[in-house]
Amino acid sequence: MELKTKKHPVKTERKFNLQHALEEAERCLLCHDAPCSKGCPAGTDPGKFIRQLRFRNIKGAIRTVRKNNVLGGICAEVCPTCKLCVERCSRTGIDRPIMINQIQSFLTNHQHDIKFSVFDKDDAPESKKKVAVIGSGPSGLACAAQLALSGHEAVIFEKNEKPGGVLTYGIPYIRLNAETLANDIKEVTSLGVKIKCGSKITGKNAINDLLKKGYDAVFVACGLSQSNILKINGSELAGNFTWSDFLEMSNDPKLRAKAAKLVAGKNVAVIGGGSVAIDAAVSAKKLGAVKVYVISLEGLDELPADSEEIELAHKSNIIFKPQSRVTNIKGDGKKITGIDGVETEWIKKGGPLAPANARDVKGCEFSLKIDALIHAIGSRVEDSALETLKGAGVKTGDGNRTLVDGTYRTSVKGVFAGGDMIASGRKLNTVAAAVYDGKTAAMAIHNFLTSTKKGGIK
Amino acid sequence: MATKNKKVDLSVKFCGVNFENPFMLSSSPVSDCYEMCKNAFNAGWGGVVYKTLNLEKRFKVVMPSPRLNALHYDGKRVIGLQNVEQITDRTIKENLKDIKRLKKEFPNKVLVSSIMGYSDEDWTELAALSEEAGADMIELNYSCPQMAREGAGHKVGQSYELMTEFTRAVKKGTKLPVMAKMTPNITDMVPAAMAAKAGGADAISAINTVKAITAVDVNLLTPLPNVSGTSSISGFSGAAVKPIALRFMAELAKDKNLKLPISGMGGITTWIDAVEFMLLGAGTLQVTTSIMRYGQRIVEDLKEGMLDYMIEKGFRSVSEMVGKALPTVVDPGKLPHQKQAFSVIDKDKCVGCGQCYISCMDGAHQAISLDKNRKAEVDEKKCVGCLMCYHVCPVDGAVTYKYDKFNFKTH
Repeated sequence: MELKTKKHPVKTERKFNLQHALEEAERCLLCHDAPCSKGCPAGTDPGKFIRQLRFRNIKGAIRTVRKNNVLGGICAEVCPTCKLCVERCSRTGIDRPIMINQIQSFLTNHQHDIKFSVFDKDDAPESKKKVAVIGSGPSGLACAAQLALSGHEAVIFEKNEKPGGVLTYGIPYIRLNAETLANDIKEVTSLGVKIKCGSKITGKNAINDLLKKGYDAVFVACGLSQSNILKINGSELAGNFTWSDFLEMSNDPKLRAKAAKLVAGKNVAVIGGGSVAIDAAVSAKKLGAVKVYVISLEGLDELPADSEEIELAHKSNIIFKPQSRVTNIKGDGKKITGIDGVETEWIKKGGPLAPANARDVKGCEFSLKIDALIHAIGSRVEDSALETLKGAGVKTGDGNRTLVDGTYRTSVKGVFAGGDMIASGRKLNTVAAAVYDGKTAAMAIHNFLTSTKKGGIK
Repeated sequence: MATKNKKVDLSVKFCGVNFENPFMLSSSPVSDCYEMCKNAFNAGWGGVVYKTLNLEKRFKVVMPSPRLNALHYDGKRVIGLQNVEQITDRTIKENLKDIKRLKKEFPNKVLVSSIMGYSDEDWTELAALSEEAGADMIELNYSCPQMAREGAGHKVGQSYELMTEFTRAVKKGTKLPVMAKMTPNITDMVPAAMAAKAGGADAISAINTVKAITAVDVNLLTPLPNVSGTSSISGFSGAAVKPIALRFMAELAKDKNLKLPISGMGGITTWIDAVEFMLLGAGTLQVTTSIMRYGQRIVEDLKEGMLDYMIEKGFRSVSEMVGKALPTVVDPGKLPHQKQAFSVIDKDKCVGCGQCYISCMDGAHQAISLDKNRKAEVDEKKCVGCLMCYHVCPVDGAVTYKYDKFNFKTH
């Protein structure tokens, strides 16, 4: 790992062993009605698993993590815990919060060290029902695992070569340990879930075909795999990338050299302030970029990215240009040569952190010499997936997000959806929230498969 | 819970009484009334030993205030707890009503009635009342170290004749199994337990609290708890007394003549503590201090942890564990002297703090030095394998030991 310094090793290198985990658990106040346990989008109960660890009920602690969240290892590494469970920690009132994510990481790693299997899929009688899951991201994996635990056959269709969706292609490998990812996916496949990689469900009739081909229900969790480009002068020039194109390349060991070619020895700017923007910036730096800028409308204290990621970006000498926007992309006719930008301020303080609430500050214009510009300003459902959904008659809402009811039913009978692609109204899309969707949808699908009353939302 | 091993459970038979698991509240503030016992049953405890009943016609109990002082050590809170708590201050009528109600609502949980009298007639009457109220067993409180009345509490536990006499009186009043609760404030517990057995006791419970002074307020020149300018030597409990309790477990369980079932207690917090008590002879277990500290919820971890341990070790029932470690407990004079250990330090793990160096230099055999990188080194010729370094090292696994290839060293 190249980014370490002796005093500030990167997150993935500070793994807890049993001693560290117990010492950290000793710090836990073991709160009554633990506030941390109310902060998880996936419904994880840190209050319980830390108490279990504290009282040396280590296998019990592992069960608590894993049974609630089959991807507990991944979430422990990528979750913005500073905005969730850790934010609520009562210990903060004394000194500093408990490192909940590190304890959870320890437990899921320890599970593999001691070869402890949490699930017993023989518990559920085989239902002989078959469910197709589209997409092997966190939502798809969690849904398939829960279906398998309920006795159903779950088959995941994944368009890419490798399983994991955003976990494999969207989160940089420096933030999510490849072994953790592989272990958690194995946790799912060991339940009997089949993942068919390189099989894209596409075309107008694709979903109906699945239902005709013997699948009793379909769960769509194809994520937001197409990222947006800021449409301004010059965005058509070579040197413009989306964050997903860039991270997909830099995450793949085979394509990493290609990604390095795009940024090594060059100046790079990233537009956006979320996790993926910071991930792209740090990855670019790691691949040899000289100057890396992160340009965001949000102030430093308003960035949606996790504080630990931001800390890592600071340590990697990423240059932040908060409360700024890019106004023009300059080029030599073929490729980017620089950008013009201007600093902004909020029209209404405390109002929405959105372009409509931002205005330029006159006299605070700037120009930067840039060779590559990474757009990290949000993503949308892939066009072909949208066609497939619409072909099946699935209704979508704002920004083409799929409409679902409280039990993740779409407008089409037998078709369910979850994860980032649904119109959830969530402020923060996290892996944990996607897991929750998948797990809860699986329970709804189970009810659908085992009850006699069937139908979609009106 | 582990589902593959459905045959293994925590149930246990003790003095003919069926327990769904061996974990009980001990007779103390945690088992003071209906509400607390009900919550404990719902939380998963297998039984309760109800707070000691009193015939208030002879003696009215009044609690001092404050009645607790805790021992904190090195930033860790409540490793031990001192109390001047008395037996119940509620009326016998209220308590018997609660016991009746608990047994009616929780017929499958075990309710042990703890009693304390001041004459033969008292003991007989309390035993009969307990049986009538529906108790499954009776515990004889021969061991409260701070009873504000002569001829009661641990004064009985220190007088063998009284114990035999009172136990006989109890057996007159009831057919229920009776266990005598022992005080550790005695040189040898075995003759005391034998005296209870002579009176007809069916089991022994141990240990009650250890007489202690936890601290002295150096500003007010008074020990704690400070009750209006005074304090008392009184009962100390919790994790800090576990080693003393385990000693008594082993002594009681190893005795060839006593041969009574033991209900063990004294500092149990985790399932590991619980298993230790069982391996040294306890058939059921009782808990107070860690419930006062952490709540009734700890029973979840006691149960889940013990069950996982049993599955891992291949024990098919709780009773299979009882006394399993006893054969290895021998007199110090019988410890084998054929082999000697010496310490081995893993320099990759050593962080260079020098704790082992200090302990070895000032407290052992000057066998450890620090190299130029501050990493500890052992001189195998000097090391006698006392393992003080192993115990003080703050890094897991940095100090281990292996057996000496040299002749046995005596220093």
